[in-house]
Amino acid sequence: MRISLSQFARIGKWSKQYANLPERYIERAMNQVYWKNPKGPQYKPNAVIQRKKFYFGVHRPWTMEFKDENQPGRYHPKVFVEPVKDWSYFRGDRVEVLVGKDKGKQGIVKSVIEERNWVIVEGLNCKLKNLGKNERRNFEGVYVQQEQPLLVTNEVALVDPSDLQATPFEWRFTEQGDKVRVSLRTGRIIPIPKSVEETIDYKSKSTYKEQSKDTTADVASEITFEPKLCTFEMDIMDEMGIKEDRLPPKTYWY
Amino acid sequence: MAVPNKILGIYNLFKQFSSRDSLKWATLRPVLISNRAISTSNPQRGLMEFFDDKTNWGANEIKCGRSWRKEELRLKSNSDLHKLWFILLKERNMLLTMEEEANERVQVFPSPERLDKVAESMENLEEVVRERNRAYHELETGETGERPGKLATNIFGLNYFYKMSEHVIPKYMNKTWRKKYQFFKHDPDVEAFLVKLRERLYLNKRRKHTRDFNHVIGLLNRFPNMDMEALKQQYPDVDIERAKRSRKYGGHFEPK
Amino acid sequence: MSTRWYPIYQRGSPQLRIFLPNFWMKLIKPTVDQPSNLVNFACSMEMTRFDMKNYLEKIYNVKPIHIRTRIASGKCRRDPGKGYIVKNDDIKYAYVTLPRGEVFEFPDIFPNIKEQEKEYEKTLKQSKQVFDQFLEKNKERREMPGWFTF
Repeated sequence: MRISLSQFARIGKWSKQYANLPERYIERAMNQVYWKNPKGPQYKPNAVIQRKKFYFGVHRPWTMEFKDENQPGRYHPKVFVEPVKDWSYFRGDRVEVLVGKDKGKQGIVKSVIEERNWVIVEGLNCKLKNLGKNERRNFEGVYVQQEQPLLVTNEVALVDPSDLQATPFEWRFTEQGDKVRVSLRTGRIIPIPKSVEETIDYKSKSTYKEQSKDTTADVASEITFEPKLCTFEMDIMDEMGIKEDRLPPKTYWY
Repeated sequence: MAVPNKILGIYNLFKQFSSRDSLKWATLRPVLISNRAISTSNPQRGLMEFFDDKTNWGANEIKCGRSWRKEELRLKSNSDLHKLWFILLKERNMLLTMEEEANERVQVFPSPERLDKVAESMENLEEVVRERNRAYHELETGETGERPGKLATNIFGLNYFYKMSEHVIPKYMNKTWRKKYQFFKHDPDVEAFLVKLRERLYLNKRRKHTRDFNHVIGLLNRFPNMDMEALKQQYPDVDIERAKRSRKYGGHFEPK
Repeated sequence: MSTRWYPIYQRGSPQLRIFLPNFWMKLIKPTVDQPSNLVNFACSMEMTRFDMKNYLEKIYNVKPIHIRTRIASGKCRRDPGKGYIVKNDDIKYAYVTLPRGEVFEFPDIFPNIKEQEKEYEKTLKQSKQVFDQFLEKNKERREMPGWFTF
């Protein structure tokens, strides 16, 4: 049995968009299978999984920090996450902070954490964090500024690009059938930023720099398939000039 | 000039085949049907094909495109798919070797997601080949031509999908098979076990329902302005009106 | 030659051919000194030595003259809490002999570990020095905020 995490955890689409990692890798990185049972007719579960419910903080599921947060036996208090129907905050959006010491300031969304309804706004809502404090070595540590996550439900508001002020908004359909965010104050469309499709590997799909092992788009999209009345094996044998006319003897399937 | 509608590069090196027609086919009689001419690199490399390019040794990160998708593989001819399979196989062996060595040396294996990209591509390729074969068999024989199977009940009374296997002799003559594969027969112990199992499953289900119900009350208490439609979508089994009637709803204060 | 399902072979039936083999083999570093034409592999459990010979000849164009295999038992350990025994998976190893005169040396795929470590230590030392200088400069201004410096 392939142990699928989909039954235990849901990683939002936008939280993993930037990392550009295959789904399978994320699953593999998160899996905490202690041991698996051998195959056989049995009632026991097929695997002993150390953690089924994960704690999602600011660290992404494929990082060491996440692994550390979710070590076997590590306890986290229960988190209540407000259900949100359509995710509406994307990387690159301009938002206004509604709480904290940066209240009223506007900034750009740096990253999205859908599992907690969080966004991290660049340079705003920062906290000083001490790094490397070591009393034994008599080192006081260094302070760095770290952005803290903000709830999308009541701690940030989207900014209307027409007048650069925070506004409530709604998802509506245009006449062409596209789903867009519409500012309720001015009725203007708030466009989804271009940086949505940006990943760690490329800014946009058209500017992707091909690596040495990549197949170029023209080779990949070239059509070489010709429909033939034969199976894959027959076709390959035909091409290699392998003749086979022996018929398989009778066998029984059960 | 850049190609305007260039899509993202696809792992793995398929472009090496652009000079496909000039390849000489070797006829191979023995068991493994592969093609020497498809080797992606200098044939003198031999065992060094188990290792990555020298430029990538000790690198922190090795970037590459995404895996092959089914719709892209469906465009390719059978021989192209056959070649691509061996390229992916070699790439996987290379990655496994590099990963093993990195683990041995207690070093970071750069970009481990490459293994998943290759595995995904291989899965998709196999699925496309099976699709084609299924189409042929269904047209010619009316059957899928795949390994048959059926739903069966095992000796513990649990249902599972039994994959049939091919035998030289019929079932009534095959004593070893009959000994090995025992299906469900009436047994009072198994019946008793099944009753308990069903009870347990039912209890699990009920507990989950209670858990969800209480969680919804918790959500209602914490987020009074919550989007009710979203809540209903996420917890379709919970009766929200009933949750609001619960004494846990509303918090520890006297209503005005 | 595959871990997938395959038709059974009887006398007179067509030659069994594998078109999409899914076996894996990985080259591993020898743990002991051994002849220069001996190569160690770990491979799929289902592979036989004939499979390996075919695999290396057809796919990698390497001609082994002799192959030995062994299955190393996975380590057993007792679960610290529950007390039951957990066993790691078994591994199949293959020792492939190349023809006389051919030499294979396992390459060093992390050539500049030491340089990287040195560089890291150097930068660490530098940043420490800079920080100490900063502290030294601000020794007299105890209660001043951090930005009030030069």
